[in-house]
Amino acid sequence: MSETLLSIKGVAKHFDEIEALSHIDLDIRSGEVVGLVGSNGAGKTTLLRLMAGVYTPTKGSVTLKDGSDVSTMRHMLGVVPESTGLYSRLTAWENIRYHSRLYGIDDETSWKRTQLFASRLGMSDSLSRHTKGFSRGMKQKTALLRALAHGPSILLLDEPTAGLDITSARTVRALVKQLRDEGGTVVYSTHQLEEARQVCDRIIIIHNGEVRADGSPQQLMEQTEQDSLEEAYVSLTADQARSRNEDADSEGRITAWWRKLFTPKTPELEVEIDG
Amino acid sequence: MVDGSAMRIKQIAKKEVVEFSRDWRTIIAIIVIPLLMFPLLFILFPVLLQSEAAELKSLQLDLTIQTDNMPDNLSMIINQSSIAITYEELPILDDLSQPGDDIERLRNGSIDAILRITQKEDIWYYSILHMSTSEHSSEAKSRLLHDLNEWEDNETAARIESGGLDVNSTLNPLRWDGEFSQADAATAGEQAGMALSMFIPLVLAVWTFSSAIQPSIDMTAGERERGTLEALLSLPCTRLELLFGKWLAVATITGVGVLLQIFGLLFAIGYLANSSIIGVPELSLVTILLIIGAIMLFAIMVVAIELALAMRSHSVKEAGSILGPAIMLIIFPALFTQVINLDGIESFWFAIPVVNVLLALRELLMNRIITSHIIIWVGTSILYALMAAKYASMQFKREDIVTSLS
Repeated sequence: MSETLLSIKGVAKHFDEIEALSHIDLDIRSGEVVGLVGSNGAGKTTLLRLMAGVYTPTKGSVTLKDGSDVSTMRHMLGVVPESTGLYSRLTAWENIRYHSRLYGIDDETSWKRTQLFASRLGMSDSLSRHTKGFSRGMKQKTALLRALAHGPSILLLDEPTAGLDITSARTVRALVKQLRDEGGTVVYSTHQLEEARQVCDRIIIIHNGEVRADGSPQQLMEQTEQDSLEEAYVSLTADQARSRNEDADSEGRITAWWRKLFTPKTPELEVEIDG
Repeated sequence: MVDGSAMRIKQIAKKEVVEFSRDWRTIIAIIVIPLLMFPLLFILFPVLLQSEAAELKSLQLDLTIQTDNMPDNLSMIINQSSIAITYEELPILDDLSQPGDDIERLRNGSIDAILRITQKEDIWYYSILHMSTSEHSSEAKSRLLHDLNEWEDNETAARIESGGLDVNSTLNPLRWDGEFSQADAATAGEQAGMALSMFIPLVLAVWTFSSAIQPSIDMTAGERERGTLEALLSLPCTRLELLFGKWLAVATITGVGVLLQIFGLLFAIGYLANSSIIGVPELSLVTILLIIGAIMLFAIMVVAIELALAMRSHSVKEAGSILGPAIMLIIFPALFTQVINLDGIESFWFAIPVVNVLLALRELLMNRIITSHIIIWVGTSILYALMAAKYASMQFKREDIVTSLS
């Protein structure tokens, strides 16, 4: 049994009245690729942000292997948010170097690691280019290089293939598989089951802020007595999915009231349906 | 640990300044405009005015003189002013200023002005009918007034002489003896400080606030909107380090802008006045240090408030709509402060936010070091700066700043 790198115990996350996550218990073990699978608004991004120490749990704790709070040990993590978060007026290497320096890594070390992974991703020739003109795929690859440059123990990826063309998505998945083969630990959020099946050793299905299942693809099918992973997912998430709510909550009360004041009500149309 | 924190703050500030300076529009807004604004205003604007005035002076204007008795020599004086004269009978009116039937000729521009003049006993009465919204008519009126004044001076001198009096001593019985400037107990340096104190604090206050708006928004709401903040928040730097780094970057950019604007202003004044109107103020080392301290405290407060308000906003648009009108919070106190009399000023003025630093700058530029005032404005400025920094840190610690509209 490999050692636990990240431990989530009894975690709940509320945004005012809204419960985004409720009672999550998970362990992320060394050398595994864990897929967080769920529909939009299920709570995947909130869980990843809790793992990255960007959010503080309302209840419970997120700790690393030595028991320290994750927010104090962020140098062990590499994070690629869904938006990639690249500065368009900086080159790809400047973006990577900026984060590496904030991780306390010297330029030579981060350059060596960047060169290593850039060659695998076919990005070596693009490191000196400004990211403004990058395609979505190149941005995603640059964000991956940035997250890997300081040698993190755990890589947290939020929907890394969303919006990518087939070739770019394939390259990203190949890199994750290589990392797994080299003993790396990756938490990979996606809403595509097939992708999770290809890449992940373990799949955690999240629905409406709860963990509905946790295991290998085979275990999930056995648990639900279904023949395919898709059928297993459907049976685990049969209740209606909630809408995404965490962003809407950040809007000020006056702003929300004012917007509603000038929004006409949707008319109720009386339509006769034949038959 | 402290070294690591200082290194991270430096890296954040450095990256912000580098990224900001790569936008040419920003360079124009922050460096070129402040540097050129006052020289353009003070040097080119007077040149334009002079050119317009010369054009008006060269105009041949049409004048009608309505009179029943034209004074001696007045026609000759008016003829020298590039004015074509037509003489008419004086109409019968209650007084000379009533336009009567002549109003249409003035309104349609067929003549530029009408001089009505008549004599009753020893007094000459006159009026100039004109149209104030027409530049030609106003110029004609101006030339006529000049010519009438010249004629009046000649007439006054002639009448005094005919009475057997000396013209010079009769018209100027009271005279200043010696040089005006020699009688002023204030030194040239103090006078320079007084002149500078009338506008330097105003420029400093308004420009510090306005030039910090764009970088503050770009580094907070802009980052949030572009989705770059989440990656930054997952790094091993604290929110306070993030705030200090961004504050340092905004303060650097703003400081450069303000310094360049003051440099441009002083250059323009020096060029216009040939360095004779405003000289170098006499300031002691303590005064200079206090001035720098006052500006720093003001900048800490202003930049922290702007960063906090921008960080609260979900988008660049929202931040702009908050920070744009907020400049009034600086302009009104700044204008108000300029008219407060510093002699015998009550101490409480030095405790009011914004007003305290502006008054302090006015006093310091005049080299007035009043200990009780300094204690009050330094104490209150530190308090306000700390409150602003605390407010900013609260905004930077909000969890919802990670969410992005994009």
